[in-house]
Amino acid sequence: MKVIELKNIVKTYPGVEALKGISFAVEKGSIHGFLGPNGAGKTTSMSIIAGLSSPTSGQVFINGKELGREKSPIGFLPETPPLYEQMKVFDYLKFVAEINNVARSELSCRVLEIGKKCGLTKVMQRLIGNLSKGYRQRVGIAQALVFDPEIVILDEPTVGLDPNSIMEIRELITSLKKDHTIMFSTHQLHEANLICSHITIINHGIILQSGPIGEIGKSLKNRQVIRAVVRDWQIIEPAMVLSEIKDLFPCDNVEIKKLDGQTELKFIAETDDDLRPSVSAYLLQKNCGLLSFTEEGMDLEEIFKRVAGQ
Amino acid sequence: MGFSRGIWILYKKEVKDYFLSPLVYILTGLYSLIIGWLFFNYLVASKDLTTANLSQSILIPLFGNMNFIFLFLAPLLTMKVFAEEKKLGTLNLLLRSGLTDWQIIFGKYFATFTVTVFMISMTFLFPIILGFSGYHDWGLVISCYLGLFFCLLSYLAVGMFVSSITSNQIIAAILSFSILLGFMLMVFSVNATHLSLVRDLFQYLSVPFHFEGFVRGAIKNFNILYFFCFSGMFLYMTRKSLESRYW
Repeated sequence: MKVIELKNIVKTYPGVEALKGISFAVEKGSIHGFLGPNGAGKTTSMSIIAGLSSPTSGQVFINGKELGREKSPIGFLPETPPLYEQMKVFDYLKFVAEINNVARSELSCRVLEIGKKCGLTKVMQRLIGNLSKGYRQRVGIAQALVFDPEIVILDEPTVGLDPNSIMEIRELITSLKKDHTIMFSTHQLHEANLICSHITIINHGIILQSGPIGEIGKSLKNRQVIRAVVRDWQIIEPAMVLSEIKDLFPCDNVEIKKLDGQTELKFIAETDDDLRPSVSAYLLQKNCGLLSFTEEGMDLEEIFKRVAGQ
Repeated sequence: MGFSRGIWILYKKEVKDYFLSPLVYILTGLYSLIIGWLFFNYLVASKDLTTANLSQSILIPLFGNMNFIFLFLAPLLTMKVFAEEKKLGTLNLLLRSGLTDWQIIFGKYFATFTVTVFMISMTFLFPIILGFSGYHDWGLVISCYLGLFFCLLSYLAVGMFVSSITSNQIIAAILSFSILLGFMLMVFSVNATHLSLVRDLFQYLSVPFHFEGFVRGAIKNFNILYFFCFSGMFLYMTRKSLESRYW
């Protein structure tokens, strides 16, 4: 079931067409990643879904009902969390719950519950202005959840956080899956891979791909790059390596680079198969002193290039 | 959520925010100092004015000044009402909530008005001091305060509107002051024309003309109507400005 559906949304600002007729849907109970570089149209799309701005043309449906000027029942965390720095965390969450029609009898209970869920129990009586960036982000997520919305939209919730906080926020988002439908934007494909069941890729105001991550990954991941660093390597010509491995596994290109007494090898193949077992077996057989072995992920830019090229 | 309940929730938060900020105490201190000094001087000077009573020699000029000073102070109070929220991104939190635009406007409007009442609360002592000297024209005192409150409500409505159209607090303060000064100076333009229609129109549009009636102890319907229309128009424009997010 589609909880959010955008149909042919166009948004123009003076001199700029930010969204050029985008259409996609978010399935109920999914964690939907919204990927795109800066200026792709992510924030504009999310603002429209959250009811903060209206599209120039097109329709937005929330739970099958067309979104008009009425308030949409969506929890929203913008890129900069909307926080009143002079308020205590408890008072702030209580205020947000109150203005979002949470019954007076449930207020305190609800705030404490969300505080616990978002890991804010220890800082409930502290001023928001004195909190670290990680905690402020959690408060931002808590305000989006405190009135128990069915749909939660998070605009780049992990930007600018340290690695520990990023992991905690990701765990928090994953834990929300059972009660909410979540849509969140990110720059990082890796992040989307970790927690999303569905993704939508947008660039220059156009949707490049949208759907279950497995299907999109499959359609994109027909290229594998394996990087190996070895200590003892005698062959300098890539062509010779290619002729050696041509019967072992499919490989389109090999790059060889000398680095401080070590050699970096890159095996590049346009294939759906995983070449890691074959490449590692080949290198072990060569007894070349394998120092490191990694698969290079495609970065978002590369994906955009590939998707745009398709 | 009922209409008044929504206003009350936001009102409570806004009043608390104001009183947690040093700005209110600084402005109140400054205002009380200036008005206290003026009161003292009028009191001393009143001894020499044997033909005027205490109302004419102290209260009427004092309330004129109390009103005039708010021309500068009201923009300082209202500059952050929407401009700061826009800058911090918290305005969207309110606009997306269960509160209607009118609940947001009235919650903030009444909270700011409460602060201005707090600022002038020190002046409640002046009629009491005069009372010790045998002054007993309490009707005039009430009328003067009523006029002052209407003026304040008008100034705050202008300030809120201007604050809603910018995210820069300094611009908000300067622009609201300019608009208020324009309405104040309109009364002087009356002398610049011989056309009675234009003269009457300018006179009717200027704020001091309507405040003057209250200070003389005359509470007239058309003066009250003017203040209601003036505030109502700027509050309506504030709503339109908030609504512009859909344009």
